[in-house]
Amino acid sequence: MSGQSTAAIRREGLWSKAVYKFSRDRAGLVSLAIVSIYTIVALGAWGGLWATEWADVTGGKWMPVSSEHWFGTNIIGQDIFQRALFSTRTTFEVGFVVALLATAVGALLGAVAGFFSGSWIDEIALWMMGVLDSIPFYLFVAAIAFALQDNPYAMHVAMIATFWTTVARLVRGEVIKLKSLEYVEAAHAIGVPEIVIIFRHILPNTFHILLVQGTITFVAAIKSEVILSFLGLGVKEGMSWGLMISESTMEVMAGFFNNFLAASAFLFVLVMAFNMFSDALQDALDPKKV
Amino acid sequence: METLQYIIRKLITGIPLLLGVTFISFMLMVYFGPDKTYELLGKNATQEQIDEIRHQLGYDQPFFIRYADYLKELVTLDFGHSDSTGEPVSGLLGRTMPISLALIIPGFVLGNLIAIILALTAAYHRGSWVDRLIMGFSVVGMSISFLIVIIAFQILLSSSYGLNLFPVRGWNMSTFGNYLSYVTVPTLATVFVSLGYNTRFYRAVIVEEMTRDHVRTARAFGVPPARLFYKNILKNCMIPIITRVIFSIPLVVISGSLLIESYFGIPGVGKVTFDAITTGDQPVLKAVVGMTAVLFVMAQLVTDILYRAVDPRVTLK
Amino acid sequence: MSSDQQPLLRVRDLVVEFNTEAGVARAIDGVSFDIYPNETVGLVGESGCGKTVTGLSILGLIPSPPGKIVQGSIEFMGRDLVSLPEEELRNIRGSEISMIFQEPMTALNPVFTIENQMTDVLTRHQGLTRRQAGKAAIEMLDKVGIPIPEQRIKEYPHQLSGGMRQRVMIAMALSCGPKLLVADEPTTALDVTTQAQVLEQISLLQDEFHMAVILVTHDLGVVAETCDRGIVMYCGNIIESADINSLFNHPRHPYTEGLLNSIPRLREKKVDQLPIIPGRVPDLFHLPEGCRYGDRCNRVTDQCRQTAPLLQSVTEHTAVSCFHPVTQTSG
Repeated sequence: MSGQSTAAIRREGLWSKAVYKFSRDRAGLVSLAIVSIYTIVALGAWGGLWATEWADVTGGKWMPVSSEHWFGTNIIGQDIFQRALFSTRTTFEVGFVVALLATAVGALLGAVAGFFSGSWIDEIALWMMGVLDSIPFYLFVAAIAFALQDNPYAMHVAMIATFWTTVARLVRGEVIKLKSLEYVEAAHAIGVPEIVIIFRHILPNTFHILLVQGTITFVAAIKSEVILSFLGLGVKEGMSWGLMISESTMEVMAGFFNNFLAASAFLFVLVMAFNMFSDALQDALDPKKV
Repeated sequence: METLQYIIRKLITGIPLLLGVTFISFMLMVYFGPDKTYELLGKNATQEQIDEIRHQLGYDQPFFIRYADYLKELVTLDFGHSDSTGEPVSGLLGRTMPISLALIIPGFVLGNLIAIILALTAAYHRGSWVDRLIMGFSVVGMSISFLIVIIAFQILLSSSYGLNLFPVRGWNMSTFGNYLSYVTVPTLATVFVSLGYNTRFYRAVIVEEMTRDHVRTARAFGVPPARLFYKNILKNCMIPIITRVIFSIPLVVISGSLLIESYFGIPGVGKVTFDAITTGDQPVLKAVVGMTAVLFVMAQLVTDILYRAVDPRVTLK
Repeated sequence: MSSDQQPLLRVRDLVVEFNTEAGVARAIDGVSFDIYPNETVGLVGESGCGKTVTGLSILGLIPSPPGKIVQGSIEFMGRDLVSLPEEELRNIRGSEISMIFQEPMTALNPVFTIENQMTDVLTRHQGLTRRQAGKAAIEMLDKVGIPIPEQRIKEYPHQLSGGMRQRVMIAMALSCGPKLLVADEPTTALDVTTQAQVLEQISLLQDEFHMAVILVTHDLGVVAETCDRGIVMYCGNIIESADINSLFNHPRHPYTEGLLNSIPRLREKKVDQLPIIPGRVPDLFHLPEGCRYGDRCNRVTDQCRQTAPLLQSVTEHTAVSCFHPVTQTSG
């Protein structure tokens, strides 16, 4: 089927060009390196390679920076560096789960809505997106936490339910555009079932959007996690940068800034790197951009 | 007359949205939400007492009757009394709303206005170091958590470790001077955080408009660049700008002020909402969700009417 | 176009390059031509041959970045537009040299009224007050054949038809009495009847305003109808320049001949198939060493493959860049 092959060629050209463009983007490469380091830190903390003593009292109260405690200790004598490292794992878990599922749900519903644009299916999908976009985020998190009776994943569910709409809108738009392309019409004409058209011919061609949106959602999720955890609506077990900042507010008033600075710096560098990575990815995947 | 008809039609089409929002939040917060029976009763309550309380709370009613009651509350703006303070909810919101508005408006306006100016500047110098500098700052702004900004600004401006110029927390609007001293730090924090995202968005909109044919025509007729920007391009960019500004209002009123009000201890809607979340104060939560949805429908209406004002091609249908 | 007149516009050795991801593309490679007062010159070629870029460079409107004039001069009434400061160039744009564009749908700003856009030009260049400018604009609209101009002027572009919009563009372009009008495919987006009307309007006004017109087009029919001279471009070069009679009756460059042969003619007897030029235009990154038309030419020799022919004058107003021009008798 020639339609399929032209679509495939189009895709391949986009990706090889993107890799080439990305490899020449210095900011993009640096940010990718930083994100990779964080990923390794997170995996190590997850696998128990380091930051195993994050919950233990290993020193006195508010000990200064030393070779033993790289970032000092907090109010009860826990090592701030270990806590910051361990929180990386929490962050990645939240970011990854939310980004993956929100993008998947958004892609699926967006593709279906776009493919059936103008029909009642599309109307319902749009209505759902409008509704979810109109519920204040913090309230939504709280509401889901109520409904799930303080299940630790209430925050994840709320974020996924909120963030998928943006992905879905973008995918819907792209699918409406793709739908009228020749190869899709050709597939339609020779009787390929609609479900096959959506999954084999249309969705793969929106993958560049999904990748970029995935990174954007990741950033949104980890930023939200920090604020929600600070407010007491997010992570309840374990450790996260938001919880660290939350416990640091007392310390800050007493003039001890290590806890706050450590969590802030870890968060800022990761988000900044992710934002830059996302930008570089977007530039590399934009066929119009020179 | 035509406009009035349009407004009415638009409000009617907003009904499904209202129903959706209220239905989902009702289901999550009230139906599957915490059972308040035992909180309101003492220990060792009799079955009769339990039944009476359950009846008062409406727990013995079927789902749809209870949902319909909620809708009735929304229409009559009578959400009953707060579980925790006993104050009528409408009175509570009416009292706290002006505080939230006074708190948010300066930061919201400045955050958008400065962003538009920065975006115009960046787009005007597209590709030069000015552009790169502004966009670099905006990525930094996007990457700093609102929470960190609030705390950092508080340390730098309001504590003895920094300049110690403003009160650490709290709220006082009795005089304009007081208002300024309390509103400054939250406003600076809001502006700082919103600048990153706003500037980026507005620059993208402006740059997109710069590539249009009519801009080339204007240049071909000798329009100087400054005038090109503030006359020819800016007006054409108004639709996305208006959309962004208006649609962020409903969320800013609730979500935007929630963190700032609970952190600075400012008694606005955000603080009320946060307290209601932590105590499970359902009447307040229902009211806040319902009102936000109403604000969204209004925002839709307002944007449509404003579109008409800035773009003659838009008709109110 | 008599020889005793000084040229109004003198383009010499113009080179325009575009920086692209794939490298530097030379969209115009050493173009030289003259435009005399009151004449109409057709700038013809396929899309991508550099004709539009040539038109845009005259007004300094090359999108930059990525485009840039890297060499050459564009002399207009004694001033070199290439080296002229942007501010002075702006005073020329729309007043001494005007340009109209292909897409009347998008070339006007959709959110301002016709009046707003026209008076803007008049107040800036002519120093008129808003009121005077409004009156002058209505007069101009009347001249380009817009009925009830005092009513139309209050309308927005989307309320007018494509032909009307192009007339508005023309009215705007001529409102300050330019000496030169660059019309970039002014009728391509219009239907055939409107096309003829708009072209006729331009010719009529040209006489009234004593201006020269550069008509950038791919449509040889339009050139034959309206122009005094034609300049044929191919791959960033001028390959032939001649008055309209000799261009159409005695084309010298094989490419021109090919173009002419591929237009259907009414009076000739039926042919089964219109002749086409074989091959395709080389892309700007892989230009052949010799003649750029060489690969498609039926008269190509080793000489053509090794060296590129230069534009050589044949008569006073005729020039061709070909080692083996089509002989006069073959037509």
